[in-house]
Amino acid sequence: MASEAKLSHTTAIILQAIHAGFIYGFSIMEMTGLPSGTVYPAMRRLERDRMIRSHWERQSIADAEQRPPRKYYKLTSEGKSTLDASRRRYPLLERIIPSPEVKSV
Amino acid sequence: MRLSDSGFAWVHRELVTCASWLAPAPQRKEWKKEWLSELWHVVQARIPAGYGSWKAQEEITRFCLGAFHDALCLRTMSWRDQKPFARWSGSPQQCLLLLCAALAIAYGISLLLPGVRAESRPSNFQVKPGLVLIQDARSRDDSVATIPIRQFLGWRERRQEYFDGLAFYRIAEEAASTSTGDRTTLNVAHASSNLFALLGLAVRYEEPGVKAGASERAVILSDRIWKTQFGENPHIAGSVIELGGRTARVAGIVPFGSWRLPGKIDLWLLEPDSEIPSGGPGYVLAHLSRRGQSEVWSRRIHITEYTGDYAADDLWGVSIDERTRGPWDIFLFTMLLALLCLPAVASVSMSESSFSSHRPTWSKRIRQWAFLCVKISLLFPIAYFSSLDLAYWHMPLYSAASQYMQLISSFTICLFGMRWVMLDQRQRCPVCLKRVTHPASVGLASRTFLAWNGTEMICTDGHTMLHVPALPTSWFSTQRWLYLDTSWKFLFVAQGIEGGA
Repeated sequence: MASEAKLSHTTAIILQAIHAGFIYGFSIMEMTGLPSGTVYPAMRRLERDRMIRSHWERQSIADAEQRPPRKYYKLTSEGKSTLDASRRRYPLLERIIPSPEVKSV
Repeated sequence: MRLSDSGFAWVHRELVTCASWLAPAPQRKEWKKEWLSELWHVVQARIPAGYGSWKAQEEITRFCLGAFHDALCLRTMSWRDQKPFARWSGSPQQCLLLLCAALAIAYGISLLLPGVRAESRPSNFQVKPGLVLIQDARSRDDSVATIPIRQFLGWRERRQEYFDGLAFYRIAEEAASTSTGDRTTLNVAHASSNLFALLGLAVRYEEPGVKAGASERAVILSDRIWKTQFGENPHIAGSVIELGGRTARVAGIVPFGSWRLPGKIDLWLLEPDSEIPSGGPGYVLAHLSRRGQSEVWSRRIHITEYTGDYAADDLWGVSIDERTRGPWDIFLFTMLLALLCLPAVASVSMSESSFSSHRPTWSKRIRQWAFLCVKISLLFPIAYFSSLDLAYWHMPLYSAASQYMQLISSFTICLFGMRWVMLDQRQRCPVCLKRVTHPASVGLASRTFLAWNGTEMICTDGHTMLHVPALPTSWFSTQRWLYLDTSWKFLFVAQGIEGGA
């Protein structure tokens, strides 16, 4: 079902950004140029639809770097399937934000 | 850090805090933590040196404003996912709100109905105490005229021991023309000149100078005729109209809804008794003297009139208080009647529930009783106003039909309303006062004497379970509440959006 889900262009970009390693809200904003009022709500919906999941950074790591802990996002298997379908729908997606495997080639 | 930067930092933090109040309560803490963490990183990225330009502060502010959109989005998702009305459904707040809404609707409608508005001013239709309507005993219907003017005049001529005032009126259709020359046919009551004084009814725009028996007769208009034929002219008193070929001067207007005696009358022509034209029978009103009042105990008195030839006429004297009884008296009567009938339609005992493990605390019991009292105190005004609405929906004026309608509707609403109140209360969880739901049939009716057979319902918040026996037996006669312990909790975890923690 997830692979058949049709995402909007913006949501597909956010999903692609997370896949590309931009795993927290601000970095996705920086990468995509989208405002906070678009990025965070989109991530809430993606998480609700189980395409991404979130986890908090360990407090010890944040303390060592003298900053507050961050909430990181990661694609689920459903999210990956949906992203593959979205790439076929939006062929330029990978050109805007190259995937890690593409970058390494 | 400059003062302006610290001011901006405070503003940014407060913006996120304000936005956090839009987020659903279960996710608020984590949501705020994420946004404050992101804000810290945004500030570090935009103002690396500890102080920033206006442009940087503007960018950070714009970032913080996005928090409102995010919080609203989370709230919307929470509403959709959690079905907020599912929590609201069956709650005591919902019950009271619905009752308040019903009361507001019933009261609102009553304000729009002219009949109800007239009923709400009892001073308009209150007559002197001790008045009776005298009728021939052969007539069972007190709205039928039975006394001829000749008989009335005979009573007037004789000294009365039991009555200190008598008045007569007879209704006839007559042609009338107003001062503007319009001709119309009206129901005219030829009445004794002391009729309104005897009744003690107030007359609007009264013209004190106009007296019956003068060269021009006095006429009192009904509110309806004043409005339809005379355009609600406030200076109508003193005007001359023509009635049956003779002139009469308007002496006042009877307020809307004041006339509660038999007969639909457009105007009252006040004349000396000797000048009232003979014709069909009329109505006789009498005021009981002090002696008469002391000897009368019931609202319907039997009167025997001995005529000269040793014959006797049987008459009834019906108290007019009954006719002028306001809606409040009718409502109190029906409410009492409904309370007396209640045990026939519902169990009135609230202590039938037995608690398997522990009893509810005093505060919870007080809350239960308070909820019951509030429900009852809302039900009765609903019954009062809605019965008035039904009674006067098609009847703009007081009539016997409207009284019967109020009587029946008020009794029905009070009785079945109280039944609903009792049944509803018995199915409310003693802990949270929510209605127990999800009824499940347990057991088989054919095995009633071998095993338990009935219905089980559960509190959606997971506090209690209610067992209601299908057939009361000596070992399971009443409904039972079962308190659910912590082992049941996993069934009732609130479904929210997972925080991902």
